[in-house]
This record gives sequence, C-alpha cells and structure tokens, in this order.
Amino acid sequence: MFSSRSGFWPALPALILLLVFFLFPVVRMLGFSVEAGTLDWYAKALGEGLYLRVLWNTFEIALLVTLFCLLLGYPLGFLMATTTPFWATMGFIFVLLPLWTSVLVRTYAWMVLLGRNGVFNRMLMEAGITSDPIPLLHNFTGVLIGMVHVLLPYMVLPIYGAVRKVDPAIPAAAAGLGASNWRIFWRVWMPLTLNGVFAGCVLVFVLSLGFYITPALLGGGRVIMIAVLIEQQVREALNWPFAAALSAVLLAATFAVYTLAQRFTQPETAR
Amino acid sequence: MAARGGSAELLIEGVGKRFGDVVALDHVSLSVAQGELLTILGPSGSGKTTLLKVVAGFETPDGGTVKVGGTDISALPPARRDIGMVFQNYALFPHLSVKANVAFPLEMRNVAKPETERRVAEALAMVELAGYEARLPKQLSGGQQQRVALARAIVFNPRLLLLDEPFGALDRKLRETMQLEVRRLQRRLGLTTIFITHDQEEALVLSDRIAVMNKGTIQQIATTTEIYERPANDFVADFVGESNIFHGTMSAPGAVTLDGGRTLVVRSDRQAGAKVGVLMRPERFASGGTNQFAGEVIESVYLGTSFKLRLACEGGLELLVRQPARGALPAAGAKVAVGIDPEAIHVF
Amino acid sequence: MDTRKLNRRQAVALLGGAAALGAAGPAFGQAEPAKPAQLVVNHSGGSMGTAMRKAFFNGFEKKYGIKVVETSPVDFGKLRAMVDSGNVEWDLTEIGGQDAIRAGKANLLDKVDPKVVDRSKYPATAQNPFVFASSVYTTIIGYRTDVFKGGTQPKSWADWWDVKKFPGARSMRNHPTDNLEFALIADGVPKDKLYPIDFDRAFKKLDQIKPHVTVWWSTGQQPAQLLLDKEVVLATGWNGRFYDIIKKGAPVEIEWNEGALKQGSFAIPRGAKSPYWANKMLAELAIPQQQAVYASELGYPGLNLESLNFVDAKVKPYLPTNYLDKQFWISDEWYAENGTKAAELWNAWMLKKA
Repeated sequence: MFSSRSGFWPALPALILLLVFFLFPVVRMLGFSVEAGTLDWYAKALGEGLYLRVLWNTFEIALLVTLFCLLLGYPLGFLMATTTPFWATMGFIFVLLPLWTSVLVRTYAWMVLLGRNGVFNRMLMEAGITSDPIPLLHNFTGVLIGMVHVLLPYMVLPIYGAVRKVDPAIPAAAAGLGASNWRIFWRVWMPLTLNGVFAGCVLVFVLSLGFYITPALLGGGRVIMIAVLIEQQVREALNWPFAAALSAVLLAATFAVYTLAQRFTQPETAR
Repeated sequence: MAARGGSAELLIEGVGKRFGDVVALDHVSLSVAQGELLTILGPSGSGKTTLLKVVAGFETPDGGTVKVGGTDISALPPARRDIGMVFQNYALFPHLSVKANVAFPLEMRNVAKPETERRVAEALAMVELAGYEARLPKQLSGGQQQRVALARAIVFNPRLLLLDEPFGALDRKLRETMQLEVRRLQRRLGLTTIFITHDQEEALVLSDRIAVMNKGTIQQIATTTEIYERPANDFVADFVGESNIFHGTMSAPGAVTLDGGRTLVVRSDRQAGAKVGVLMRPERFASGGTNQFAGEVIESVYLGTSFKLRLACEGGLELLVRQPARGALPAAGAKVAVGIDPEAIHVF
Repeated sequence: MDTRKLNRRQAVALLGGAAALGAAGPAFGQAEPAKPAQLVVNHSGGSMGTAMRKAFFNGFEKKYGIKVVETSPVDFGKLRAMVDSGNVEWDLTEIGGQDAIRAGKANLLDKVDPKVVDRSKYPATAQNPFVFASSVYTTIIGYRTDVFKGGTQPKSWADWWDVKKFPGARSMRNHPTDNLEFALIADGVPKDKLYPIDFDRAFKKLDQIKPHVTVWWSTGQQPAQLLLDKEVVLATGWNGRFYDIIKKGAPVEIEWNEGALKQGSFAIPRGAKSPYWANKMLAELAIPQQQAVYASELGYPGLNLESLNFVDAKVKPYLPTNYLDKQFWISDEWYAENGTKAAELWNAWMLKKA
C-alpha cells in the first residue's frame, strides 16, 4: 500500500499537466455542446445523414490507413530491430525524416510525384507500362498514399520497440523445436509484439481521425473527413456548440473503437 | 515415453568457424555415443557455445560436418534437426501456458490432439510438474521454469538433447538437485546429450565424458576421472579442480628435476631430458610419503571436513594442500611437513 | 568635409520632421492619442505580407515611427476568442467578406473612423461602417494557352459547362461561394438576379459539371499549380494567383468575363489596444499611389478607383478593377445569413455518389 502511494507523487506533474491541458479543455468543450441546456446539437450531429456519413467515411479511411501502415510498418520495424546497427540507423533516418518536414511540404511533394504528369506516371508511360496516366492523385488512392506516408513512423517505432524487447533466444527456441518461419512469426513474434502493434495501430488510427490538410489536397476535394466539418463549424460558421457536439461524438466513437480493439487484442492467456 | 530410439550418436568432424579475425572453432572433431552425456567444459569465449549453436543449426560453420545417427545434418535448418535444447534463460514462450509450451514441438509436428495430451502429461509428470499445466512461465519459480524447458526439449523424442548452461541462474542448492534430476532423466531416457558449462564441478558430477575447450580447440576429451587425474596439459590441469602445477625436466627415469632445483620421485616412462609438467592434487598429500616437503603456513582456511593450507616450502616452492580437519587449524607461520607418493604425482 | 555632411543630415532630419507635422495637421485640433511602440496587423501572410510591407508598412513606420508587427493567419475563430476574452492582440486584422459582415453584427469590431479614413472615392458597396475594403479580387477562369489557342477559351459559365465544345479536365473551388453563382449564370440567371440563391437550381446545374471536375481545390495556390502541372487545362481561381504565374511566363491566361468579385477587408477588433493608430493605418491603405504599388505586386488593386491611374500599362490588364462591368459582386450579406446552410448543402452534395 505504502509503495503504491509513494509511487503517485512523481507522476503528479504529469497528472496536473494532463488535467490542465487535456481534461479541462475536453470538459470545456463538452460544456459548449450543451450550452443551450438541450441536446439539440447532438440531435443534429447524429440525426442528419451528412455528419454520420462523414464520420463513417472518416473511420473507414482511418482504418484503411492503419491497415496499410501496419502492413508496411511491421516488416520495416521488424527489419530495423533485427538488422545490423548501420542499417537500423539508416532505417531510422528514412522513417523519421517525414516527421521533420511539414505536412504541407510532404503533401506537395506527393502531388509532384503522383500527378497526371508527375514523376510516377511519366516513368510508367516512358517504360510503356501504360499509355494513359493512372489516376493516383485527387482521389482516394492519393489520400491513402499521403496519409500512410505521414503516419508510418507512428507505426514503425512502437513495433520496433516491441521487437527489440523480445529475447532472441525465444524465436530461436521455437525454430529448434520444429517451427517453420511462418509459424514462428504467427505463434511467437506476433503475440509477443502485439503490444507494439496495438500501440502503433491506436496512434495511427487516432491521428488519422484528425487529418484534413492531406485529404483535402490529395483527395481532390472528394474525400471529406470529420475534421474538415468541425473546422468549418469553428472557423466559418462560428457555431462552436455544434463543433463541440461533433467533436464529442468523434471522441466517443474513438473511445468505443479503442475499447473494442483492446478487447480483441488482449494477449492470449493460459489455454 | 512410448517410442524410444529417437536418440542417436553424434559425430562432429573438422568444424571451423571464424567471426572476422576471431577463430571461434578451429577444426573441432568429437563424437558422442548414443545415450552418452558429454560435457563441453571451458571458460567463456572458448567456443563451446558456438559449437552448440553449430550442432543446433543456429550457426553455419565455415567447414566440417555434423552427423547425427550417420546422417549429415549440416545443411538442415534448426527446425528439421529434431534436436531438443534447453537455453541458458530457458527461452520459454512467455505468452503460452506451461502446457502449451510443452505441447509446442508436438504442435509443430502436427501430432494428433489426444497423443499430444498424453505425451505432454507424461513429460510434465517426468519433471514433477503435473498440476501446473495452466500456469504462465512468469508464475513459476526458476527451478520450475527449468523443468518446463526440459520437458519441452524431451517431449518430442529428440535425437539429441543440448543443454546450454541451464543451471547458471539457480541457487546452489537447487542447482545440485536439478543436476541430479537431469542426470537421472537423461539416463532413464537414454538421451544422447551435450551439456555446456564453465563450471568444472558441475561437469564432474554430471558427465560420462568431458571435453575441455579453450580458444576454439578441444584440449582433452576423456572420462571424468581421466580428466581429473591425468590432465593432458596445463590448461586442463588448472581448469579442472585445485592443483599444484610445476614444470621441470626428466633427470632420470622416474625422477623429475623441477625448474626450481628440487627433484621428485615419480612414476613415468618419459625419457630423460624430456620437458614435462607435474601435477599434484592438494588432497593427495599426507603426513608421510616418498617426496617430503617442509614448509611454513602462509594461509589457512577451515572448510568443515578439511583444512586448506598454503605452504611456502624450501626452494621457493609454494604448495596448496588439503588435510583432513583434525585438531586445531594450523596458524600462519606454523611449521608443517607433508609428503606425497610417486603414484599420486601426474607427469604430462 | 565632415561638418558639411553633418549639416546635410541635419537638414534632411528637419525636413522630415516638418513633413510629419504637416501630415498630422488635420488632426491637430484634437489631442492625438499617444503613439504605441508597435501596431500589430494580422493578415494572410505569404506574398501578401511581403507586398503589404512594401506598399504600406514601410511608409507607415517611417511616417509615424511606429513599428508594424505582422502576424498571420487570418482566423475568425481566434478573433472571436480574443474579443470575448478581452485579450485583443491585434490592432488591425484582415477578415473574410462574409465574416466581416457577421463580425460587425456580432459586435466584434470597432467602426472605421470617417474623420481619419477618407472613403469618399470608394464605390457604394465598399462603405460598410465596420469594414475597410482594402482590395478587390475575383474568381475567374484561368486556362492553358497551349490548349486553348487564339481566343478559343471558354468565355462564359455557359461555355465552362459545355464540355463538348471545351473539353478537358477542370478544377473548381471546394466551396459553395462562387460555384453556386456560376451554376446559376450558366443556367441563364442574369448576373443581377442571383440573390437569393436558388439552391435546387444551382445544385442541379452543378450535377452536370461534377464528373468533369478533376480537382475541387481548397487552397489558393492549387489552381495555378494544377494549370502549371497540366493536371487540368481549365481552373477557376483568384486572379492574383494566375497573375503571379503569368508574370513568370507560364502558358496561362485569364478570362475575365462573369468573374465573381469580392473585396479583401480589414477591420479593427473591438478592444484593440491602439484603435486610433489602426485607423491611421487604414488611411495609409487608402492612398491610391500606395494601392498601385500593392496591385502591381499581387494583381489585387485597391478600391480607391483612382489607383488605376498610377499602375504600369502592362499591369493594368491584369487588374479586376479594369473589368468591373463584365463581372458581378458576391453578396457578403447573403452569405453572412445563409453561409452555414450553403456549406451543409455543399458538403452533402460533395458526398453524393456520381
């Protein structure tokens, strides 16, 4: 008992910080949404097809982005954690580089690469692979590529950490006991790095939900995410109660998804 | 275990391995008979772990072959070698229960469920862990984890059992119990076993034969008594047990003149003029004997059953001597005389 | 030698002082509020900031000895938060057209002081008591001259909608403003009968063009970039952005007919620290010669129509004030009332499949 109580004090500054910079604004925001003493703004957010559809779209995009980040990020994080220090450093530089450039710059770079007359299409056409440019930009594909690029580091780093934490003797033991690489991966690596995978997925998913610059620029305007609508309510319509209600709905939905995901990825216990 | 006979003899021929400039294994050859327990004993960096990894398939040798039961397995991946291994830190699957851990090699071999159940239960009974099936490794003590690792390594009737310093993490008492238990189990199953350790005492307790390794080569491979009584060189003599080692020249048949000038009567057919090493084990000294030494006690330790004395003798000789603990422990400065018979002196 | 140089410098200083006295002349009767150390002007930043510094801020600093501190971006939400909390950092801020109308009504702004700022030469649309119209910009058609050669470009919104006669990928703004009006004009509504907007009619017309719009742009530099990269051959966009790439030699031209005019606005937040000096700054923004400097930089002329007389003949064809009759004014008043509704309908229309 004593030790748990004394363990509380060092965490106090962090708790106060969270309280002031996270909890207080959230409560304030929730306050805005019921300012008028009614739940009318919630009724509008949940009742009008537009907002539910955009919310659904947003989750769909976030889910896909998370999936692609996982598919790319797991092998990358795994390789970085198991290769020589030189290649690990190179990997880190390339993975972290996007974090040091602004989202806008990265997005414009993709526009240069993916456009009708962009680098990719010119290469494909010169190589004779296609005669007409492939639409990579100003559609869903463009949004996916751009967002996956921006968010990949958030997937790679926790997975890298999780892989590094596994005692290399454990997969070796599995191999010695007759497991093929495929089975070592699914029976040993996957469950032992699930924490990292979960952390990476949650990070990428939640960050995806708040995106709007990248989808607006790379999606040709067709891909609408909830953050765009919230921003419109804050900056254009000046309807803060409604913006708050939309944010609250997004927050609640995010928590729901998080809880669900946690339930599913609970590390397997005694069988 | 129902189906026995998985166990086979091991033959290592001319295996070499370099890591950059470091020679980890220098043309190592050895054989282990079916059902034998061979200990590879050596200090850290001697190459013993590399040799084990080569046998298990985790390390590819630069040359040489590894044969099990007459078949060359050098090119096989670890998964297809059918070798059970217990790792230093056990390498249990932390996310799997005891039962799932032990069942793992059977699962990988697609053994039918009832058969798996039966064999897992048998293996757990053998290591006295029946009833612990549902526990996770972290809910077990170190000794129990060790037993799980052992059960997991033998449950699939491996051709070989490899033990990589498995007792290092256990306290002394538990270690001794586990050593005896492993020995009993190995005998009972007739498992060809290689045991890696840097602890010479452990090696003496467990082994049929011991291979002493240093700097990538095998210094001597022999039975435990042979290693102890008749070491092949300084390194083995020094590494295994307590010893007094001197160097000298055969001055006549049956006589060695040590470099310090003292002449000892020995049993040896080495020719006169040969440079030789002389080993006298501390416990082989008695009050009387052909070769007499008179000295002064520099240091004395009481060990319960014996006294351990360090003596400064004439001619600059320093001797380590063990005497049955009888009477008072000689104090530093006391004069003591000891003797040793020629039969108790090993010349190499 | 040395003494003579000193003397000359002193003479210049004296002259400058006299000029400053003269400039302060009209307000001399009343006590002039104390000069603050700095005046904070908030604007969109980027090339606009550079042009404003060149055309207005440098002169203002020299004239009054008050440092002009620039901040950006323009943010209506932040303006509201500042005024509500009583902690107003900005002395003057740029503000979007319809936002300005609403901000005035929401009591977030101070009135422009007519005694300091002379707007007698301004058109009637630019006389809002709370809002100073600093410049004019228009949403018009930009086109690739290598695709539409020798005047074959679309010359009206009806042409824009005619994808058979004028084929090619198009880009339009991802916003109801402009597009609703363009659709109605294309559908035959006269330019002076656009408001109130008939949503059904506008969106029905927009349905026709939707499949041919490759990019719905959301930032100002997108349309120019899209034309440059040949992602599209036709784009609606703000005249200044096209002017910028035309100046640099891009194969792009502007069709001015039926452009949607809007005014760039500045306003003084209520509770600003130096409202008098903010008005002084507005007076600076109203000087036609300075407006001409600004217009030559960006292609956004001021609404003091005299300023056209001070621009280079080569620049004049790229200024929207040169074509006021061919174009129409977006109604900020209508959007102030109906903007939210329009945005919701627009989003819903965007989400509609096909």
